[in-house]
Amino acid sequence: MYLVADINVEICAATSCKLCTQFCPEANTILYNNEAGKEKGLKYGSAYVAVDRCKGCAQCVWVCDNMAKHHAIKMVMIDQLPNAALTDNVIYGEKSTTALLTSPVVG
Amino acid sequence: MSLDYVKFSPGFERFMPKEYRDMVEHGPFGKKVTVSQMGSFKEILEEHPMCAGCAMTLFIRLAIISFPNPEDTITVGTAGCGRLAISQAAIPFVYGNYGDQNGVASGLSRGLRLRFGDQPKDVVVMVGDGGMADIGFSGTLHSWFRKEKFTTIMLDNEVYGNTGGQESGMTNQGAVLKMAPLGKKFEKMDMLGMAKIAGCAYVATVVPNNPRRVESVIKKAVLIAREVGPTYIQAYTSCNIEYAIPTDKVMEDAKTVEDDRYKFSEYFTDEAKQFLADRYGYKEFLPKPAAAVTQA
Ligand SMILES: Cc1ncc(C[n+]2csc(CCOP(=O)(O)OP(=O)(O)O)c2C)c(N)n1
Ligand code: SF4
Ligand code: SF4
Ligand code: SF4
Repeated sequence: MYLVADINVEICAATSCKLCTQFCPEANTILYNNEAGKEKGLKYGSAYVAVDRCKGCAQCVWVCDNMAKHHAIKMVMIDQLPNAALTDNVIYGEKSTTALLTSPVVG
Repeated sequence: MSLDYVKFSPGFERFMPKEYRDMVEHGPFGKKVTVSQMGSFKEILEEHPMCAGCAMTLFIRLAIISFPNPEDTITVGTAGCGRLAISQAAIPFVYGNYGDQNGVASGLSRGLRLRFGDQPKDVVVMVGDGGMADIGFSGTLHSWFRKEKFTTIMLDNEVYGNTGGQESGMTNQGAVLKMAPLGKKFEKMDMLGMAKIAGCAYVATVVPNNPRRVESVIKKAVLIAREVGPTYIQAYTSCNIEYAIPTDKVMEDAKTVEDDRYKFSEYFTDEAKQFLADRYGYKEFLPKPAAAVTQA
Protein backbone atom coordinates (compact mmCIF):
# COMPACT_ATOMS: atom_id res chain seq x y z
CA MET A 1 0.00 0.00 0.00
CA TYR A 2 1.12 3.57 -0.47
CA LEU A 3 0.47 7.04 0.84
CA VAL A 4 -1.44 9.82 -0.86
CA ALA A 5 -2.35 13.30 0.30
CA ASP A 6 -5.79 13.87 1.78
CA ILE A 7 -7.24 17.32 2.43
CA ASN A 8 -9.64 18.05 5.27
CA VAL A 9 -12.47 20.03 3.66
CA GLU A 10 -13.59 21.62 6.92
CA ILE A 11 -10.19 23.10 7.67
CA CYS A 12 -9.38 24.08 4.10
CA ALA A 13 -12.76 25.63 3.29
CA ALA A 14 -12.46 27.93 6.30
CA THR A 15 -9.71 29.83 4.45
CA SER A 16 -8.82 28.05 1.17
CA CYS A 17 -5.60 29.94 0.65
CA LYS A 18 -4.88 28.08 -2.60
CA LEU A 19 -1.21 27.77 -1.76
CA CYS A 20 -0.61 24.03 -1.86
CA THR A 21 -1.27 23.47 -5.55
CA GLN A 22 1.36 26.06 -6.48
CA PHE A 23 3.93 23.82 -4.79
CA CYS A 24 2.77 20.35 -5.78
CA PRO A 25 5.27 19.16 -8.38
CA GLU A 26 2.60 17.22 -10.27
CA ALA A 27 0.25 18.89 -12.75
CA ASN A 28 -3.52 18.90 -12.07
CA THR A 29 -3.14 16.87 -8.90
CA ILE A 30 -4.33 19.34 -6.26
CA LEU A 31 -7.46 20.92 -7.68
CA TYR A 32 -10.03 23.37 -6.30
CA ASN A 33 -13.74 23.07 -5.88
CA ASN A 34 -15.08 26.51 -5.04
CA GLU A 35 -18.39 25.01 -3.84
CA ALA A 36 -17.03 22.31 -1.50
CA GLY A 37 -18.04 22.83 2.11
CA LYS A 38 -20.63 25.50 1.26
CA GLU A 39 -23.43 23.08 2.17
CA LYS A 40 -21.94 23.12 5.68
CA GLY A 41 -21.89 26.91 5.75
CA LEU A 42 -18.14 27.15 5.12
CA LYS A 43 -17.11 30.11 3.08
CA TYR A 44 -14.45 29.45 0.52
CA GLY A 45 -14.54 26.05 -1.17
CA SER A 46 -11.75 23.57 -0.77
CA ALA A 47 -8.71 22.01 -2.37
CA TYR A 48 -8.81 18.26 -3.10
CA VAL A 49 -6.40 15.68 -4.47
CA ALA A 50 -6.78 13.59 -7.63
CA VAL A 51 -5.20 10.61 -5.90
CA ASP A 52 -4.31 8.73 -9.09
CA ARG A 53 -1.80 11.49 -9.88
CA CYS A 54 -0.40 11.97 -6.37
CA LYS A 55 3.15 10.61 -5.98
CA GLY A 56 3.05 10.83 -2.18
CA CYS A 57 5.92 13.31 -1.72
CA ALA A 58 4.15 15.25 1.09
CA GLN A 59 5.43 18.60 -0.11
CA CYS A 60 1.85 19.89 0.12
CA VAL A 61 1.76 18.84 3.77
CA TRP A 62 4.86 20.93 4.46
CA VAL A 63 3.39 23.90 2.59
CA CYS A 64 0.02 23.74 4.37
CA ASP A 65 1.68 23.25 7.78
CA ASN A 66 4.54 25.74 7.48
CA MET A 67 3.60 28.35 4.90
CA ALA A 68 -0.19 28.45 5.15
CA LYS A 69 -0.15 27.28 8.81
CA HIS A 70 -3.51 25.57 8.35
CA HIS A 71 -2.61 21.90 8.91
CA ALA A 72 -5.31 20.68 6.56
CA ILE A 73 -3.37 17.95 4.70
CA LYS A 74 -2.41 14.50 5.93
CA MET A 75 -0.78 11.55 4.21
CA VAL A 76 -3.11 8.55 4.25
CA MET A 77 -2.78 4.96 3.01
CA ILE A 78 -4.85 4.88 -0.16
CA ASP A 79 -6.94 1.91 0.97
CA GLN A 80 -7.93 3.84 4.09
CA LEU A 81 -9.71 6.47 2.03
CA PRO A 82 -13.34 5.46 1.59
CA ASN A 83 -13.79 7.96 -1.23
CA ALA A 84 -11.48 10.14 -3.25
CA ALA A 85 -11.22 12.04 -6.52
CA LEU A 86 -9.75 10.35 -9.58
CA THR A 87 -8.76 12.20 -12.76
CA ASP A 88 -11.47 10.48 -14.80
CA ASN A 89 -14.12 11.93 -12.50
CA VAL A 90 -12.90 15.53 -12.50
CA ILE A 91 -15.09 18.03 -14.33
CA TYR A 92 -13.55 21.37 -15.24
CA GLY A 93 -15.74 24.47 -15.10
CA GLU A 94 -15.05 28.12 -15.83
CA LYS A 95 -13.19 29.00 -12.64
CA SER A 96 -13.34 25.84 -10.58
CA THR A 97 -13.62 22.09 -10.82
CA THR A 98 -15.83 19.41 -9.28
CA ALA A 99 -15.25 15.70 -8.84
CA LEU A 100 -17.46 12.76 -8.14
CA LEU A 101 -15.83 10.93 -5.22
CA THR A 102 -15.53 7.16 -5.53
CA SER A 103 -13.52 4.41 -3.88
CA PRO A 104 -9.92 4.89 -5.06
CA VAL A 105 -9.14 1.17 -4.80
CA VAL A 106 -10.22 -1.20 -7.55
CA GLY A 107 -12.26 -4.21 -6.48
CA MET B 1 1.98 25.94 -33.85
CA SER B 2 -1.19 27.86 -33.50
CA LEU B 3 -4.58 27.48 -31.92
CA ASP B 4 -5.35 25.19 -34.85
CA TYR B 5 -3.37 22.31 -33.46
CA VAL B 6 -5.29 22.22 -30.20
CA LYS B 7 -8.70 21.38 -31.52
CA PHE B 8 -10.59 18.25 -32.51
CA SER B 9 -10.39 16.90 -36.03
CA PRO B 10 -13.98 16.71 -37.31
CA GLY B 11 -15.63 13.48 -36.18
CA PHE B 12 -12.91 12.50 -33.71
CA GLU B 13 -14.02 14.33 -30.58
CA ARG B 14 -15.77 11.36 -29.00
CA PHE B 15 -12.78 9.08 -29.55
CA MET B 16 -10.29 11.35 -27.80
CA PRO B 17 -9.16 10.55 -24.24
CA LYS B 18 -10.50 12.67 -21.40
CA GLU B 19 -7.17 14.47 -20.91
CA TYR B 20 -7.23 15.60 -24.53
CA ARG B 21 -10.83 16.79 -24.34
CA ASP B 22 -10.09 18.67 -21.12
CA MET B 23 -7.09 20.29 -22.83
CA VAL B 24 -9.13 21.52 -25.78
CA GLU B 25 -12.03 22.75 -23.67
CA HIS B 26 -10.34 23.90 -20.46
CA GLY B 27 -6.67 24.27 -21.32
CA PRO B 28 -4.76 27.55 -21.30
CA PHE B 29 -4.35 27.89 -25.07
CA GLY B 30 -5.41 31.28 -26.34
CA LYS B 31 -6.20 32.46 -22.79
CA LYS B 32 -4.11 34.21 -20.20
CA VAL B 33 -3.68 32.00 -17.15
CA THR B 34 -1.63 32.77 -14.04
CA VAL B 35 -0.11 30.66 -11.29
CA SER B 36 -2.76 31.92 -8.90
CA GLN B 37 -5.39 30.12 -11.01
CA MET B 38 -3.59 26.79 -10.71
CA GLY B 39 -5.91 23.96 -9.76
CA SER B 40 -8.82 25.31 -11.78
CA PHE B 41 -7.72 24.81 -15.40
CA LYS B 42 -6.29 21.89 -17.34
CA GLU B 43 -2.52 22.23 -17.55
CA ILE B 44 -0.32 21.68 -20.59
CA LEU B 45 1.95 19.38 -18.59
CA GLU B 46 0.69 15.81 -18.20
CA GLU B 47 1.75 12.89 -16.02
CA HIS B 48 5.43 11.94 -16.38
CA PRO B 49 8.02 9.66 -14.77
CA MET B 50 10.17 12.19 -12.84
CA CYS B 51 10.77 11.33 -9.16
CA ALA B 52 8.21 12.14 -6.46
CA GLY B 53 8.82 15.53 -4.90
CA CYS B 54 11.44 16.67 -7.42
CA ALA B 55 11.87 20.46 -7.37
CA MET B 56 12.83 20.36 -11.06
CA THR B 57 9.38 18.97 -11.81
CA LEU B 58 7.76 21.81 -9.91
CA PHE B 59 9.86 24.36 -11.75
CA ILE B 60 8.97 22.86 -15.15
CA ARG B 61 5.29 22.87 -14.20
CA LEU B 62 5.44 26.54 -13.21
CA ALA B 63 7.52 27.50 -16.27
CA ILE B 64 5.07 25.96 -18.71
CA ILE B 65 2.12 27.70 -17.04
CA SER B 66 4.04 30.98 -17.34
CA PHE B 67 4.76 30.89 -21.08
CA PRO B 68 3.12 34.04 -22.44
CA ASN B 69 1.78 32.29 -25.59
CA PRO B 70 1.91 28.52 -25.09
CA GLU B 71 0.22 27.91 -28.45
CA ASP B 72 3.17 29.63 -30.14
CA THR B 73 5.96 28.05 -28.10
CA ILE B 74 8.40 25.24 -28.86
CA THR B 75 10.58 23.77 -26.11
CA VAL B 76 14.03 22.32 -26.77
CA GLY B 77 15.70 19.87 -24.40
CA THR B 78 18.30 17.16 -24.22
CA ALA B 79 19.25 14.05 -22.22
CA GLY B 80 18.70 14.54 -18.48
CA CYS B 81 15.84 14.33 -16.04
CA GLY B 82 13.92 17.40 -17.21
CA ARG B 83 13.09 16.05 -20.65
CA LEU B 84 11.10 13.24 -19.01
CA ALA B 85 8.49 15.84 -18.07
CA ILE B 86 8.97 18.52 -20.75
CA SER B 87 8.28 15.91 -23.42
CA GLN B 88 4.95 15.05 -21.73
CA ALA B 89 3.38 18.42 -22.44
CA ALA B 90 0.93 19.47 -25.12
CA ILE B 91 3.37 21.79 -26.86
CA PRO B 92 6.01 20.73 -29.39
CA PHE B 93 9.26 19.53 -27.86
CA VAL B 94 12.49 19.12 -29.81
CA TYR B 95 15.04 16.73 -28.36
CA GLY B 96 18.60 17.74 -29.25
CA ASN B 97 21.51 15.32 -28.89
CA TYR B 98 23.15 15.72 -25.49
CA GLY B 99 24.63 19.22 -25.51
CA ASP B 100 23.31 20.28 -28.94
CA GLN B 101 20.29 22.13 -27.62
CA ASN B 102 21.41 25.73 -28.17
CA GLY B 103 22.58 24.90 -31.71
CA VAL B 104 19.23 23.25 -32.46
CA ALA B 105 17.37 26.18 -30.92
CA SER B 106 19.40 28.69 -32.97
CA GLY B 107 18.36 27.06 -36.23
CA LEU B 108 14.79 26.65 -35.06
CA SER B 109 14.42 30.22 -33.93
CA ARG B 110 15.91 31.58 -37.18
CA GLY B 111 13.73 29.30 -39.28
CA LEU B 112 10.57 30.38 -37.43
CA ARG B 113 11.45 34.03 -37.98
CA LEU B 114 11.90 33.44 -41.70
CA ARG B 115 8.64 31.55 -41.94
CA PHE B 116 6.44 33.67 -39.66
CA GLY B 117 8.04 37.12 -39.84
CA ASP B 118 6.87 39.44 -37.09
CA GLN B 119 4.38 36.98 -35.62
CA PRO B 120 6.16 35.86 -32.43
CA LYS B 121 7.04 32.18 -32.07
CA ASP B 122 8.88 31.51 -28.82
CA VAL B 123 11.73 29.01 -28.48
CA VAL B 124 12.62 27.96 -24.94
CA VAL B 125 15.56 25.68 -24.12
CA MET B 126 15.30 23.84 -20.77
CA VAL B 127 18.20 21.54 -19.88
CA GLY B 128 20.23 20.36 -16.92
CA ASP B 129 23.45 21.87 -15.63
CA GLY B 130 25.56 19.02 -17.04
CA GLY B 131 23.96 19.32 -20.46
CA MET B 132 24.51 23.05 -20.52
CA ALA B 133 27.61 24.01 -18.55
CA ASP B 134 29.70 20.92 -19.44
CA ILE B 135 28.70 19.08 -22.59
CA GLY B 136 26.76 21.91 -24.27
CA PHE B 137 29.03 24.68 -23.04
CA SER B 138 30.47 25.88 -26.34
CA GLY B 139 27.11 25.68 -28.12
CA THR B 140 25.46 27.67 -25.34
CA LEU B 141 28.13 30.38 -25.25
CA HIS B 142 28.27 30.69 -29.03
CA SER B 143 24.52 31.09 -29.31
CA TRP B 144 24.78 33.96 -26.80
CA PHE B 145 27.72 35.61 -28.56
CA ARG B 146 25.82 35.34 -31.85
CA LYS B 147 22.86 37.03 -30.10
CA GLU B 148 20.41 34.29 -31.02
CA LYS B 149 16.98 35.39 -29.87
CA PHE B 150 15.59 32.64 -27.68
CA THR B 151 15.41 31.78 -23.97
CA THR B 152 17.85 29.39 -22.30
CA ILE B 153 16.89 27.93 -18.91
CA MET B 154 19.31 25.91 -16.81
CA LEU B 155 17.63 23.36 -14.52
CA ASP B 156 20.48 23.50 -12.03
CA ASN B 157 20.35 20.54 -9.67
CA GLU B 158 24.13 20.76 -9.26
CA VAL B 159 24.64 17.14 -10.36
CA TYR B 160 24.14 14.70 -13.24
CA GLY B 161 20.88 13.41 -11.78
CA ASN B 162 19.70 11.18 -14.59
CA THR B 163 22.85 9.06 -14.62
CA GLY B 164 23.24 8.59 -10.89
CA GLY B 165 25.33 11.37 -9.40
CA GLN B 166 28.41 12.54 -11.29
CA GLU B 167 29.70 16.06 -10.57
CA SER B 168 29.06 18.83 -13.10
CA GLY B 169 30.74 22.20 -13.50
CA MET B 170 27.80 23.60 -11.51
CA THR B 171 28.37 21.33 -8.48
CA ASN B 172 29.70 23.21 -5.48
CA GLN B 173 33.34 22.86 -4.54
CA GLY B 174 33.85 20.06 -2.02
CA ALA B 175 30.51 18.33 -2.67
CA VAL B 176 30.79 14.54 -2.37
CA LEU B 177 28.50 12.61 -4.70
CA LYS B 178 27.99 8.93 -5.40
CA MET B 179 30.18 9.11 -8.47
CA ALA B 180 32.41 11.93 -7.25
CA PRO B 181 33.63 10.29 -4.03
CA LEU B 182 36.68 12.53 -3.58
CA GLY B 183 34.62 15.70 -3.63
CA LYS B 184 34.42 18.34 -6.33
CA LYS B 185 37.81 20.01 -6.77
CA PHE B 186 36.94 23.36 -8.37
CA GLU B 187 34.38 26.10 -7.82
CA LYS B 188 30.86 26.22 -9.22
CA MET B 189 31.03 27.79 -12.67
CA ASP B 190 29.84 31.37 -13.00
CA MET B 191 27.41 30.90 -15.87
CA LEU B 192 25.58 34.09 -14.87
CA GLY B 193 28.73 36.15 -15.32
CA MET B 194 29.40 34.45 -18.63
CA ALA B 195 25.85 35.11 -19.85
CA LYS B 196 26.34 38.82 -19.18
CA ILE B 197 29.76 38.95 -20.86
CA ALA B 198 28.40 37.08 -23.87
CA GLY B 199 25.67 39.69 -24.28
CA CYS B 200 22.45 38.22 -22.90
CA ALA B 201 19.78 40.90 -22.65
CA TYR B 202 18.23 39.41 -19.50
CA VAL B 203 19.80 37.14 -16.88
CA ALA B 204 17.97 35.90 -13.77
CA THR B 205 18.40 33.44 -10.91
CA VAL B 206 15.33 31.95 -9.31
CA VAL B 207 14.25 29.17 -6.93
CA PRO B 208 10.83 27.51 -7.27
CA ASN B 209 9.79 28.22 -3.67
CA ASN B 210 8.32 31.45 -5.01
CA PRO B 211 5.91 30.49 -7.82
CA ARG B 212 4.91 34.04 -8.72
CA ARG B 213 8.52 35.02 -9.09
CA VAL B 214 9.13 32.07 -11.40
CA GLU B 215 6.16 33.25 -13.44
CA SER B 216 7.50 36.79 -13.61
CA VAL B 217 11.04 35.84 -14.74
CA ILE B 218 9.81 33.36 -17.36
CA LYS B 219 7.47 35.93 -18.88
CA LYS B 220 10.15 38.60 -19.04
CA ALA B 221 12.77 36.22 -20.47
CA VAL B 222 10.47 34.95 -23.22
CA LEU B 223 9.21 38.42 -24.17
CA ILE B 224 12.69 39.99 -24.28
CA ALA B 225 14.00 37.14 -26.45
CA ARG B 226 11.36 37.92 -29.08
CA GLU B 227 13.18 41.03 -30.25
CA VAL B 228 16.02 42.18 -28.05
CA GLY B 229 18.43 39.26 -27.66
CA PRO B 230 19.26 36.02 -25.85
CA THR B 231 17.92 35.57 -22.32
CA TYR B 232 19.14 33.23 -19.58
CA ILE B 233 17.45 31.92 -16.45
CA GLN B 234 19.35 29.80 -13.95
CA ALA B 235 16.97 27.96 -11.64
CA TYR B 236 17.96 26.02 -8.53
CA THR B 237 16.00 22.80 -8.91
CA SER B 238 17.40 20.41 -6.30
CA CYS B 239 17.77 16.68 -6.92
CA ASN B 240 16.24 15.10 -3.83
CA ILE B 241 17.64 11.70 -4.81
CA GLU B 242 21.33 12.56 -5.28
CA TYR B 243 21.40 15.08 -2.40
CA ALA B 244 19.24 12.90 -0.13
CA ILE B 245 16.69 15.61 0.64
CA PRO B 246 13.53 14.11 2.19
CA THR B 247 10.71 14.96 -0.23
CA ASP B 248 8.69 16.83 2.37
CA LYS B 249 11.73 19.05 3.04
CA VAL B 250 12.41 20.02 -0.58
CA MET B 251 10.87 23.48 -0.19
CA GLU B 252 12.67 24.02 3.11
CA ASP B 253 15.94 23.19 1.33
CA ALA B 254 15.00 25.58 -1.51
CA LYS B 255 14.48 28.39 0.99
CA THR B 256 17.74 27.68 2.81
CA VAL B 257 19.73 27.54 -0.43
CA GLU B 258 18.02 30.66 -1.74
CA ASP B 259 18.94 32.62 1.40
CA ASP B 260 22.45 31.23 1.43
CA ARG B 261 23.81 31.22 -2.11
CA TYR B 262 21.02 31.36 -4.68
CA LYS B 263 19.51 34.78 -4.05
CA PHE B 264 16.99 36.09 -6.53
CA SER B 265 18.72 38.32 -9.06
CA GLU B 266 17.73 40.00 -12.28
CA TYR B 267 19.91 41.79 -14.82
CA PHE B 268 18.53 43.70 -17.82
CA THR B 269 20.21 45.62 -20.57
CA ASP B 270 18.77 49.12 -21.03
CA GLU B 271 17.34 48.01 -24.34
CA ALA B 272 15.52 45.13 -22.64
CA LYS B 273 13.96 47.46 -20.07
CA GLN B 274 12.89 49.91 -22.74
CA PHE B 275 11.37 47.09 -24.79
CA LEU B 276 9.34 45.72 -21.86
CA ALA B 277 8.05 49.21 -21.09
CA ASP B 278 7.24 50.24 -24.67
CA ARG B 279 5.90 46.99 -26.01
CA TYR B 280 4.37 45.23 -23.04
CA GLY B 281 3.58 48.13 -20.68
CA TYR B 282 5.85 47.06 -17.79
CA LYS B 283 5.25 50.02 -15.48
CA GLU B 284 8.46 49.63 -13.50
CA PHE B 285 10.49 50.43 -16.60
CA LEU B 286 8.44 53.37 -17.85
CA PRO B 287 10.29 56.69 -17.61
CA LYS B 288 9.56 58.45 -14.30
CA PRO B 289 7.17 61.41 -14.63
CA ALA B 290 9.11 64.69 -14.89
CA ALA B 291 7.73 65.99 -11.53
CA ALA B 292 8.98 62.92 -9.65
CA VAL B 293 12.44 63.34 -11.17
CA THR B 294 12.79 66.99 -10.16
CA GLN B 295 11.56 66.32 -6.62
CA ALA B 296 14.01 63.46 -6.08
C1 LIG C 1 26.47 12.26 -25.82
C2 LIG C 1 25.89 11.67 -24.59
N1 LIG C 1 26.69 11.42 -23.53
C3 LIG C 1 26.17 10.91 -22.40
C4 LIG C 1 24.83 10.67 -22.29
C5 LIG C 1 24.27 10.05 -21.03
N2 LIG C 1 23.52 10.98 -20.22
C6 LIG C 1 22.18 11.00 -20.22
S1 LIG C 1 21.53 12.06 -19.09
C7 LIG C 1 23.06 12.49 -18.56
C8 LIG C 1 23.26 13.42 -17.39
C9 LIG C 1 22.35 14.55 -17.33
O1 LIG C 1 22.79 15.44 -16.35
P1 LIG C 1 22.30 16.94 -16.38
O2 LIG C 1 22.45 17.48 -17.76
O3 LIG C 1 22.94 17.69 -15.29
O4 LIG C 1 20.74 16.81 -16.13
P2 LIG C 1 19.95 16.18 -14.88
O5 LIG C 1 19.69 14.75 -15.22
O6 LIG C 1 20.77 16.36 -13.66
O7 LIG C 1 18.71 16.97 -14.84
C10 LIG C 1 24.06 11.82 -19.27
C11 LIG C 1 25.50 11.94 -19.02
C12 LIG C 1 24.02 10.93 -23.42
N3 LIG C 1 22.68 10.73 -23.40
N4 LIG C 1 24.56 11.43 -24.55
S1 SF4 D 1 -2.54 25.04 1.69
FE1 SF4 D 1 -3.94 23.99 3.09
S2 SF4 D 1 -5.53 25.51 3.61
FE2 SF4 D 1 -4.40 26.28 1.80
S3 SF4 D 1 -5.64 25.54 0.05
FE3 SF4 D 1 -4.08 23.97 0.45
S4 SF4 D 1 -5.07 22.49 1.84
FE4 SF4 D 1 -6.30 24.36 1.84
S1 SF4 E 1 1.85 14.46 -1.82
FE1 SF4 E 1 3.13 15.45 -3.40
S2 SF4 E 1 2.25 14.74 -5.35
FE2 SF4 E 1 0.73 14.31 -3.75
S3 SF4 E 1 -0.62 16.10 -3.76
FE3 SF4 E 1 0.95 16.48 -2.20
S4 SF4 E 1 2.55 17.64 -3.25
FE4 SF4 E 1 1.26 16.70 -4.83
S1 SF4 F 1 16.98 11.99 -10.16
FE1 SF4 F 1 16.91 13.94 -9.08
S2 SF4 F 1 16.60 15.55 -10.63
FE2 SF4 F 1 16.11 13.54 -11.56
S3 SF4 F 1 13.87 13.35 -11.34
FE3 SF4 F 1 14.84 12.30 -9.58
S4 SF4 F 1 14.93 13.87 -7.97
FE4 SF4 F 1 14.57 14.94 -9.91
